Amino acid sequence: MSLSSKSAQEISELLDEYGIKHGPVVDSTRALYEKKLREAMARGKRAKPSPDKTYYREEEEEVVYHTYRPPMGTEGAGDSKPYMRSRPEYTEREYEDERTYSRPNLEYRGRDYVHEPHVYDTPSSFRNPSYLKSTPVKPGGDTPKKAESSHLIPPWVQVLFFLAVAGFLYFVFSNMETTHSDPFKKIE
Amino acid sequence: MSTTSKKHQDFVDEPMGNKAVTALPGIGDALGTKLQKQDFDKAYMVLGQYLVLKKNTEQFTEWLKKASGANSRQAAECTESLHEWCNNFL
Repeated sequence: MSLSSKSAQEISELLDEYGIKHGPVVDSTRALYEKKLREAMARGKRAKPSPDKTYYREEEEEVVYHTYRPPMGTEGAGDSKPYMRSRPEYTEREYEDERTYSRPNLEYRGRDYVHEPHVYDTPSSFRNPSYLKSTPVKPGGDTPKKAESSHLIPPWVQVLFFLAVAGFLYFVFSNMETTHSDPFKKIE
Repeated sequence: MSTTSKKHQDFVDEPMGNKAVTALPGIGDALGTKLQKQDFDKAYMVLGQYLVLKKNTEQFTEWLKKASGANSRQAAECTESLHEWCNNFL
């Protein structure tokens, strides 16, 4: 692809596709914009040949919804599938350039982010509603993260800690003075 | 106390008129000559470039470094002064 042989209009459209903000493509700005385009292409940014300008979505960082998964059986594998699915699904749409198909996708993503996890992670929402609510609120700027237990506290540690705190509190309560005895009673 | 130089204050405090490109903060003789070689011989031409880039400071800085050979500090100084000048007069 030879950028220098393209018309100014084409350069302008390419800049839009890569989401690069720009002014008019004139003699003094052309070199700069061509350079910007080459950088964007080298970065492997996905060009969006769609008329919709959706600037609220960064193209480099895929919006991935991380669901907190406690190690409860095999659901972990099942859950990661829809998460994985969202990426190739999007890529396919781009390459096939199905505009009608991609538009609902863009709209879908444009809607409140809270909706999407419900579709993908319905089974888990009943079990861990509090965890699910916290993650989708984050905008797409988050790097995709799976439930890497190496970075989070292992669940058994959490349970252990909880029991320790509970036990400690029980101990404290059980050793509290009752109101019957007078704490100011002089010890003789 | 302002951290900007006198050159900066002189530039942003009044319309640039036909000032030479070397009147731009950050642009000395060497950089000015390079710019002049590319037909940017007046400060308002550089202003024009800043404006046609829609006042995008990041892109303008990038262009300026390439066109004049300015380093990051010099380019930032020039960009900042143009930004401020525009706030005052544009």
